[in-house]
Amino acid sequence: MKIKEHRRDGVAILEMSGKLMGGPDAESFDETLKTLIHEGCKNVIVNMDKVTWVNSTGLGILISGYTTLKKSGGELKLLKVSDRIENIFIVSKLYTVFQSFKDEDEAVQSFA
Amino acid sequence: MKSRIELKLPSDMAFLGVPDALLMELGSDMDCCKRSLEELGSSVIEACTNAMEHGNKLDPGQDIQVIYEIEDDRIVITVLDRGPGFDFTHWQPSEELMRKRGRGILIMREFTDLLEFGTHDDGRFMIRLTKTLDPSRDEDQDPDQGAD
Repeated sequence: MKIKEHRRDGVAILEMSGKLMGGPDAESFDETLKTLIHEGCKNVIVNMDKVTWVNSTGLGILISGYTTLKKSGGELKLLKVSDRIENIFIVSKLYTVFQSFKDEDEAVQSFA
Repeated sequence: MKSRIELKLPSDMAFLGVPDALLMELGSDMDCCKRSLEELGSSVIEACTNAMEHGNKLDPGQDIQVIYEIEDDRIVITVLDRGPGFDFTHWQPSEELMRKRGRGILIMREFTDLLEFGTHDDGRFMIRLTKTLDPSRDEDQDPDQGAD
């Protein structure tokens, strides 16, 4: 998994690509969030457009990130989740936890 | 017509995408629903995650084996590892929504027609996933097909 970051209106947008499956991915994502929180940026959008698949340990990475940001007073939201991955969010009931958007502008404005 | 394909992979998570990629390739030549194929793909990824991590303890010297049995309208996938396995008969999904682990069985159960656990003839632990790939399912769910 690779992570590219840019910011808009105080919101960090993390563009993830590849497979989201735990292991080193968890450490890399956790470190990125810790750095953002340290810099005072606690509202994060994870762009999933280039994520090919997620497994159950990958879901754990997103849950961990969501919890970390929530504890810091921020929030983690999702952008451009594919139908395949959305199906996993539905069966695991995690769609009730993560706000998800199709459009980046709309996702950024949701933090205003 | 029934085809059988076998795949052996080291217990290294870097190879987790291979069984899914092979399934997508096999499915591309079948008259089947994309959504069903992706659900089976997510299930085989979970089965292989379990086999590598819990079965073979991520020992790259220990292979997992993935067997694809392809029939006209369904695929049966068997994943084998060297671990002791676990007792599925008493498994219950956790109610803790924010748990970081423990969704693999749920995903496999929800996304397959039949999910079986057991011991193979040679003593290896086995997860078997069966899914019918109904081509009409895509039409049912495609908003461009006239549904209001």
